Amino acid sequence: MSGIVPAPIARQPWQMLFPLFTLIGFGALVLFSAAAGSWDPYASSHLLRFGVFLVMAIVLSLFPRDFIQFMALPVYVVVLLMLLAVEAIGFVGGGSQRWLNLGFMQLQPSELMKPAVVLILARYYASLPVGMIPTWSALIAPGAMILTPVALVLLQPDLGTSLAIVFGGAMVMFAAGLPLRWFVGAAAAGAVLAPVAFFFGLQPYQQKRVFTFLDPESDPLGDGYHITQSKIAIGSGGFSGKGFNEGSQSHLNYLPEPHTDFIFATMAEEWGFIGGLVVLGAFAMILRWGLAVARASTDRFGKLVALGLTATIFFYVAINLMMVMGLAPVVGIPLPFMSHGGSSMLTNMLCIGGLMMVNRWNQTAPRTGLIR
Amino acid sequence: MNAFSGFGPAIAAGRSGHGAVSMALASGRVQLVNIRQESLTLARWRVLWIALGFAFVALLALVRIAYLGASDHGARGTSLEEALLPPRGEIADRNGVPLARAFPAYALWFNPTALGEDGTPLVSEPEEVAARLKAIFPDLDEKRVAAQFAAGKQGYIRRRVLPEEANRVQEIGELALEMPMENDRHYPQGSMAAHVLGYVAADGKGRVGMEQVLDKHLSDPNTRGTPVSLSIDSRVQGALEDELRRGMKLVQAQGGAGIVLDVDTGEVLALASLPEFDPNKIDARGQKLMFNRVTNQVYELGSTFKPLSVAAAIDAGVVRNLGRRWDASPVKVGRFSIKDSHSMGADLNVVEALIHSSNTVTARVADELGPERMRRTMIDLGMNERPYIELPAKGFPIWPGEKWPRLRSMTVGYGHGIAVTPLHLASAYAAMVNGGIWRPATLKKLGPGEAPKGRRVFKASTSSRMRQLLRAIAVYGTGKNADAPGYRVGGKTGSAEKPGGSAGYRKTALVSTFAAAFPMDRPRYVVIAMLDEPRGTLASSYQRTAAWNAAPIVGRLVPRIGPLIGVRPDDTRDVDITDLKPLIPEANK
Repeated sequence: MSGIVPAPIARQPWQMLFPLFTLIGFGALVLFSAAAGSWDPYASSHLLRFGVFLVMAIVLSLFPRDFIQFMALPVYVVVLLMLLAVEAIGFVGGGSQRWLNLGFMQLQPSELMKPAVVLILARYYASLPVGMIPTWSALIAPGAMILTPVALVLLQPDLGTSLAIVFGGAMVMFAAGLPLRWFVGAAAAGAVLAPVAFFFGLQPYQQKRVFTFLDPESDPLGDGYHITQSKIAIGSGGFSGKGFNEGSQSHLNYLPEPHTDFIFATMAEEWGFIGGLVVLGAFAMILRWGLAVARASTDRFGKLVALGLTATIFFYVAINLMMVMGLAPVVGIPLPFMSHGGSSMLTNMLCIGGLMMVNRWNQTAPRTGLIR
Repeated sequence: MNAFSGFGPAIAAGRSGHGAVSMALASGRVQLVNIRQESLTLARWRVLWIALGFAFVALLALVRIAYLGASDHGARGTSLEEALLPPRGEIADRNGVPLARAFPAYALWFNPTALGEDGTPLVSEPEEVAARLKAIFPDLDEKRVAAQFAAGKQGYIRRRVLPEEANRVQEIGELALEMPMENDRHYPQGSMAAHVLGYVAADGKGRVGMEQVLDKHLSDPNTRGTPVSLSIDSRVQGALEDELRRGMKLVQAQGGAGIVLDVDTGEVLALASLPEFDPNKIDARGQKLMFNRVTNQVYELGSTFKPLSVAAAIDAGVVRNLGRRWDASPVKVGRFSIKDSHSMGADLNVVEALIHSSNTVTARVADELGPERMRRTMIDLGMNERPYIELPAKGFPIWPGEKWPRLRSMTVGYGHGIAVTPLHLASAYAAMVNGGIWRPATLKKLGPGEAPKGRRVFKASTSSRMRQLLRAIAVYGTGKNADAPGYRVGGKTGSAEKPGGSAGYRKTALVSTFAAAFPMDRPRYVVIAMLDEPRGTLASSYQRTAAWNAAPIVGRLVPRIGPLIGVRPDDTRDVDITDLKPLIPEANK
């Protein structure tokens, strides 16, 4: 291979890029079908955005480690300020506000917050002496770094994104080696506090979603409609699906949001179990590569960044798939690389870019026998 | 990396000779290295745990997709297309005349919670509402309905209301009076072919007849859109029921059974069991009458078996010369004695024996044929198993089993000691006259070329000889009353005493059967008419035998159905029996 293919191309992480292109292409096909067999309005913009963000990811991957370590805090502060700005505009404008209008696109700062939190936490733990890991100082400052943006996002209110931020942050903390008993304790406290939070913290519409999740058949034409229709779509696909452009659930508008949150159901109806296997397989390859990058990284910062970014992608995939299959409540989280939507594509390509960057650090600084 | 952890202490040990200070320094470095090492190992473990968590979720998703795909739990949905289909498929006869169809109907139901859980269920007073309902339904029990309203007890007020009545109930303006749409099964021909069709019970499942057999087909959304065509011809069915009922009433018989069978395909054109029930209205009386005499009841069919024995004997070469004289004196086997009902002379040929229905000669012919060959023919004719037809209720014959003694083949020869359904007999007669091929009977309409291949029981030459003999019986013998002019009917009577009583058989209780086929020059249909316990009345000249009650039914039926099913009366055509005539004294008078 090295004989024919030029080194700069052979060096690229093809074990991730190949499944990524597969997902993007497959997603474009499904979007083509979801638009009733047309490239407009979904599939073409999907491919265009991917192209733009791929260039962004490649540029991102060229940054040196020291610069990124230096930039972690400023980036975090800027995104936090953007979140505050959203709140302020929302307060002035009235009602729920999640976007900043940048003119050329609607930017959701809460999306940018996911990689930003991973970055700042990795920076913090990398600089923390190893001996101080099991102490309270390893918990208090990172806790504040996570909870401040989460509180702001919850005010929007956007439960799904705030959960994603908590998950990414918690994964970094877990990998940083915080004592296991803290996580167990947090899980126990969560189990106790969840009912309290459910009844006093959630909006009525969010409570209803949880009830609906627990028993979607109670109101299949009302609140359980999304889940029921999604399950019908997936189930009716059978083994090999109804065929490209043949999905009645999406084409006849039984399935809500066939091009964003429920794109997996749209896909599964037309491509069946085989299509589901392909998508799951592609995600598995990408995530495995992410974890391999984390494992191969010789320094704490790179390891934690890679792991946190992989976890962020994983959270999207896992929650979305469980939602469309009726295993989790309906929270508006799209499926990475397949769903139509700029913000989610931006976040996930930032994660991919970050992972490629850590991968490049691993390659340019090969393992020394000694520990740095 | 692991190799390094081994080196740490070794390096430290190497420097230990330089004194206490360097010793402390070295151990501090070793400690630091160990902490770093541990934290790295820990980090690796943590990454592995996360990877395991990812893999678990992936597995969960995979199982879930497979589950959703495999179980119809997710896939069940009512499509618009399905909603446009009839709730249950139609059943039609072979010409497309509807025999059973779905019929949406309205019921009148009292729902006390229609206006909400609390408060009175009705706007007006219960008595007033009951009185207004009474004005619409004059036969309504006003007091009972008023009491039901007052008690707030939900339930039917009437099971069925007409659309016009429903409109007037609507005008009362009580929300508690609901008219839910229910699905009825409507049999437009009334009780016609009731035993073939069966009915649909309150649970929506078919019972008794083809409704039960085709239940899946009629309820499956993929198949219920197109009507099912039965082999029944409603015109033939109507005529058969009419003639059978008339004949039954004339002789005050307990019941009757009739069948018209296509000899070349096995299709049943008509099948009637009387008294019938009305599938539109199933009550206790109807429940009792669901027993199907044609397919479920087994009878000793008596003399109608004689042509089958003779055919078997001709086929086996036992009867080669029809002119041969057979001893007609009583046959004595052990302590049994086989006699004729009346003396017909000292000896008879086979033709005379069939025309006069001689037990003794048939028994001697059967004896010469032997038990094994007789048994083989009966098995070939399907007499040892339940009849072949789709209906769920099929009677098992009383079958004499493996080893037949000599006497058994003699009694079977004239239709005793073996009990089969009238349908068995019809299929056997079809095989006897159609050229020798036995085919299973069916109630499903067969397209051209769909007739089953069947199995050969008789040689074609045997079959053509039997056509002559059956025709001769109808012209000169006991079947005269069935000989409809121009239709070339041939057939054999059978009047068997029913089992029971002290002597083994009841002298006065008969089963009278006429088994016929027409037209004999090219047989198309087998017709069987059977009466259960006919009495001697004026109409039957005070006779109870088949010649006087069952044969006339066939004689009246054939001219009614012949032209409908492609057999025209023709005096210029007939099967040629001139070679038999010298053997029949009656023919030469």
